[in-house]
Amino acid sequence: MHSLRMIAAAVFLTCTASAQWLTNKTPNVPRNADGKPNLTAPAPKMADGKPDLSGIWNPNPKYLVNLAADLKPGDVPMQPWAEAVFKERSAGLHAHEEPDANCLPQGVPKIDTAPVPWKLVQVPGQVVILYEAFTQFRQIFMDGRKLPEDPNPIWLGYSIGHWDGDTLVVESNGFNGKAWLDQQGHPTTEKLRVTEKYRRKDFGHMEIEITIDDPGAYTKPWTATETPTLLVDTELLEFICAENEQDIKHMVTRK
Amino acid sequence: MFGRMILASTLFAAVPASAQWFKIATPGTPRTPDGRPNLTAPTPRGPDGKPILNGIWQMNGKYLQNIASDLKPGEVPYQPWEEQLFNSRQNGAGGRQDPAAKCIPGMPKLDALPYPFKIIESPGMVMMLFEGFTTFRQIFTDGRELPKDPNPTWFGYSVGKWEGDDWVVNTTGIKESTWLDNAGRGHSDALHLIERFQRHDFGHMDILLTLDDPKAYTKPWTVKEDVRLIPDTELLEYICVENEKDYEHLIGK
Repeated sequence: MHSLRMIAAAVFLTCTASAQWLTNKTPNVPRNADGKPNLTAPAPKMADGKPDLSGIWNPNPKYLVNLAADLKPGDVPMQPWAEAVFKERSAGLHAHEEPDANCLPQGVPKIDTAPVPWKLVQVPGQVVILYEAFTQFRQIFMDGRKLPEDPNPIWLGYSIGHWDGDTLVVESNGFNGKAWLDQQGHPTTEKLRVTEKYRRKDFGHMEIEITIDDPGAYTKPWTATETPTLLVDTELLEFICAENEQDIKHMVTRK
Repeated sequence: MFGRMILASTLFAAVPASAQWFKIATPGTPRTPDGRPNLTAPTPRGPDGKPILNGIWQMNGKYLQNIASDLKPGEVPYQPWEEQLFNSRQNGAGGRQDPAAKCIPGMPKLDALPYPFKIIESPGMVMMLFEGFTTFRQIFTDGRELPKDPNPTWFGYSVGKWEGDDWVVNTTGIKESTWLDNAGRGHSDALHLIERFQRHDFGHMDILLTLDDPKAYTKPWTVKEDVRLIPDTELLEYICVENEKDYEHLIGK
């Protein structure tokens, strides 16, 4: 499905670009003399002095395939059952069971790495992330509320955020344990807690340090770092997964 | 499907409320001495004097069932083919033709789902976050024009502007297969939707919805949909394709 998705995205991008506001100029972008965006200019600030993380960000797809792509073998301390599940999934035997292959949400943090952009918007009291992937959203509450203590488990969890210097720290819980962390199939359980630390290094580059704390599947927390890049002068497209879905029947099914 | 939606909503409402931030006091809500939200307090306004539309809102559910429920018979100016299509969908016939039956959301029904939606204003763009389908609309307020030859989408392309105290949203480029309501009214690719958001007081808003679609209707027609504020709560997650059991019970092709 994912390769098809990328093809679909590529096809979308080649047709009637002007119709989709794909060439609208993003305001407040530092530009070079030739008009091109200067993506290494300093990161912008909000009026209150906090970093302005807003913009359309494009994930690095290698973390979609494997969240632990930059880690060494052994850096992901799996419980024996999780290791067994991971081995089977990474051999491709369960591709048809991957939730987003079935148009179910990617979960967190996989949704950050889906191979289509997302838009981060900062408003008073919260951050909203609008995902092109399946046209979904997440709300990250910054109003001081606590994470729920006995959450009804859901796909995208419950998220609160706070600033630690120039880093937006997002903590999430309440996941349903059905999501895969990546296409290779690192599993999750309902005990999953995710911490995402968003740091905008310069105008065009973000780092998200992601800590997976899931004692149901891993013997200790582990951390990976993703590196989205800013997209300017474009807009999110509409992506409705349930429309004309043709991939799942081509995926491997283990009888 | 919608029967299930309402049932699901009821079930959700019965499970641990605190877990879903149901009891969060929405900041900025005027309250009566007993602490209850005062929903008839004046409309909040921004520094520019314009009404603030932010909040969690819920539409009167009757418009989802029948967008023309406040109109008299004969007041919907159908073109003959559209009337024929509408008639062919009566009593659930053609239920499977509704994209929403296959978990595909679309405008204008998205606004009328029986679940709350949240309006959040941000510079240059207003978001509508929908509990139904856990999806969103972006309504651009940065002065851009509607696309002239849009690639049709389920939600269309939307721009908003102020006209006095009315926030007016123009939308085009909606795929012609979306339905206007569960009763089965359709539209063509020429549909131009005009939504006029009128917040009358703290807790009450009308959306005047004008359907300008000369291919399907002989003249523009307007319905007034009432929306109420839902304070001290939050949107839930709603994933349509999860355990969907309704489609097999619908009829039609």
